[in-house]
Amino acid sequence: MNGAPRWTAVALRLRPPPVAIAILFAALTGGALVLVSGHDPLQAYAEIVRGSLSRDSLPDTLNWATPLVGMTLAAALPLRGGMVNLGGDGQLVIGGLIGALLPLVLPGQGALVSIVALGAAALGAGLYAMLAAWGETRHGIPMLISSLLLSYPAVGVTSYLARFPFRDVATGLPQTPMIPEAARLYTLSGPLDAGSLLIAAIAAAAIFVDRRTVVGYELRMRGKNLRFAGYGGVRLDRQAMRTMFASGAIAGVVGAILVLGSQFRFIDDALLSPSYTWSGLMAALLVGGEPAGAILSALFFSALQTGGFAMQRETSVPRVLTLVLQAIVILFLAMRQGVGRRAS
Amino acid sequence: MPEIEAVGIVKRYGGLVANDGVDLSVDRGEIHGVMGENGAGKTTLMSILFGLQTPDAGEIRIHGAPVRFHSPIDAMAAGMGMVHQSFKLFASLEVWENIVYGAEPRRGPFIDRRAARAQVAELAGRHRLAVDPDATVGELSVGVRQRVEILKALYRDARVLILDEPTAVLTPPERDALFGVLRRLAAEGRTVLLVTHKLHEAAAITDRVTVLRDGRTVAVLRTAETSARDIIRAMIGRNVNLIVEKGPAQAGAPSLAAVDLTVAGAAAKPVVDRVSLTVRAGEIVGIAGVAGNGQSELVEALVGLRPPDGGRVEICGIDVTAADVETRRAAGLAYVPEDRAAVGSALTASAADNLAMGFQRAAPLARGGLINPVAIAERARALIRRYAIRISSERAAVGKLSGGNLQKVVVARELSHDAPVLIAEQPTRGLDIGATETIHARLIAERDNGRAVLLVSAELAEILALSDRVLVMFEGRVLADLAQAEADEDSVGLLMAGRTWESA
Ligand SMILES: Nc1ncnc2c1ncn2[C@@H]1O[C@H](COP(=O)(O)OP(=O)(O)OP(=O)(O)O)[C@@H](O)[C@H]1O
Ligand SMILES: [Mg+2]
Repeated sequence: MNGAPRWTAVALRLRPPPVAIAILFAALTGGALVLVSGHDPLQAYAEIVRGSLSRDSLPDTLNWATPLVGMTLAAALPLRGGMVNLGGDGQLVIGGLIGALLPLVLPGQGALVSIVALGAAALGAGLYAMLAAWGETRHGIPMLISSLLLSYPAVGVTSYLARFPFRDVATGLPQTPMIPEAARLYTLSGPLDAGSLLIAAIAAAAIFVDRRTVVGYELRMRGKNLRFAGYGGVRLDRQAMRTMFASGAIAGVVGAILVLGSQFRFIDDALLSPSYTWSGLMAALLVGGEPAGAILSALFFSALQTGGFAMQRETSVPRVLTLVLQAIVILFLAMRQGVGRRAS
Repeated sequence: MPEIEAVGIVKRYGGLVANDGVDLSVDRGEIHGVMGENGAGKTTLMSILFGLQTPDAGEIRIHGAPVRFHSPIDAMAAGMGMVHQSFKLFASLEVWENIVYGAEPRRGPFIDRRAARAQVAELAGRHRLAVDPDATVGELSVGVRQRVEILKALYRDARVLILDEPTAVLTPPERDALFGVLRRLAAEGRTVLLVTHKLHEAAAITDRVTVLRDGRTVAVLRTAETSARDIIRAMIGRNVNLIVEKGPAQAGAPSLAAVDLTVAGAAAKPVVDRVSLTVRAGEIVGIAGVAGNGQSELVEALVGLRPPDGGRVEICGIDVTAADVETRRAAGLAYVPEDRAAVGSALTASAADNLAMGFQRAAPLARGGLINPVAIAERARALIRRYAIRISSERAAVGKLSGGNLQKVVVARELSHDAPVLIAEQPTRGLDIGATETIHARLIAERDNGRAVLLVSAELAEILALSDRVLVMFEGRVLADLAQAEADEDSVGLLMAGRTWESA
């Protein structure tokens, strides 16, 4: 009599996690696509894994993951509180430009200059992001709209500055002059620099704040029920401003890290073309802004994208495959979890 | 032959057995009460009868024939209708649109609006349910919305009407009107299933009562031959003292004061109109009034959730008129809100997180900006035990709790504040008899410990039993400030209808 329900309970407990199902499902669909196009799916997948996780390629994956994890956290923080920051692009380029210009004008040199530049990038981009929150709390412009709208002028103005007043006339390209070698970020090994460590530290801090601090608790409660948080005495306006500041600051740091660590100058459009903002937003949305999960999904996406380059090099399967896989995983998980369906 | 039967219904949620072999049998034309403690499984059983849940075992029979509902659509087709506890209406649509929704009369591909409106008006007239078919639902009072829900069921020609705690949100006159409607429906040969916690309601309107306990049917009682005591004993297995015992108040200094407090409304007339009140330490002040006469807005202005348009608020002598919720809470305010689900809790958060709200910044739950998960869990476990909240563990989300158990979470949290001022809005809404008794005793104990309690309740009996002074609100104004001795059903009832002594 009792046997049947107990077995179903066991089966339920053994049910594989949705992420595993999603990845399996994506791999099967992608494999079918590869097969149809006349290639060997197993070989393609082997190349993706080798090209992202082998000893030689892991640094590349981590290098790619640095900005992606950063932008994922920038998206995840507000999401955790039920807010959306769509202005990551603007905040990224503000941080990047500040990071590229300060070392040119600051006296002194070395680590101090890069630290000041990173701090200033965080401050500038953070304040800019805060504008969106201010627009919502003071003037009732939904943050979803204001954050996105504020992004365009930021992108436009930084582009103008790099093309005209601060252009490196020697190269003829729309970019600022090279920053002095001494102000660049310390290289760890291969493509990795101190920026990766900084992002890792920010990631650890985000998880800690989320789980162990009053600020994290209040933000989580806001995300679950705004009216409940307000009723419980959370100062909602101030919380929105601070959260958006933190989110923008992280985006700004990512911009500065890319400039100080690998590009060494602000190149128009270089920060935006890999669309870190949108990949980050996806990774964060998948897990409702929970930082540890967001970081994991960002790492997964990085491995996939890095592996995609290797696969394209080694086999003739185009890199687009990995983007397809990524899209399927996202769609599948979004469906399962009802992303976008707000708790009422 | 019974109109509807449930035989051996079992429903499990994980390890929890919500219905453990429930039997129910209801005759045609009967008004049948379903009673039991919070978490006994009443709502679960009603959801199964309406096809919202499928039972793990057992059978539903209509006129003796087994039926299987996979969704409410099946149930409606079989003649079932349900008035939900939290109404499921579209606030921005008009009454008639809500009623015909999903079963619209058509003319070709279009909705025949004129026919629909006429049908709704005819139906409302026939059942003497006064509603304006063209009114927008969002602007209606709770009592009228409930009538819309009933009409919606009748429009689909429901022969069995299920109402889950329909009176919890009603004022006494609205409740009496509802009972009138139910009696007429029963006289027409329709069948009514009524979940309620209130003994006097069961006595007033039901023909029989089925009592559930721990997911089982423990008694089926014929109301006419049953005393309140019998029902209580069946529900909880002990006797409950229904009379609130309380000594005279030892009122001290004013702890909560409002002076000429005004809140503007959408109309020209303010919703709260120059209200002045004082609650002193050691007394309970009750606010009586028909719902919608400004009580909610008054409370929101007092706690800081709604900026006042005039007047002052003081907590323990501190002017907090311009202060936010956090500052007012710090000045000494605890608050049980009217709506436990929308305001008083985060349904997807754990009980521990819900019970920590409002305490999250101070020791022992937090120190130096860091929260202490162990202390939070311990505190939650203690409150769950103390208030006998039925939940698997403090880590479980509160959204799955029964209505009364969620209410206990909110009340437990706010009563555990040491705040000198407590504002309790409908504190026992949805609670069973035993829990109501516990909360009433707690409120009086708090008063005796020197707390100032402002009690807002739609239950006149509750106000009269607990309050040392009674304020009556009508159309945003306080019409009277009565000492306990002057306040009785008649005097307060008249004032609630807007009649002052002179004109009465
Ligand atoms: N969807 C669900 N998932 C898990 N547990 C549930 C769910 N629905 C109900 N329960 C549990 O089943 C039990 C019975 O709940 P039910 O809502 O039927 O009680 P009730 O008799 O209506 O109580 P109340 O008087 O408080 O409304 C409760 O312990 C509740 O926590
Ligand atoms: Mg219930």
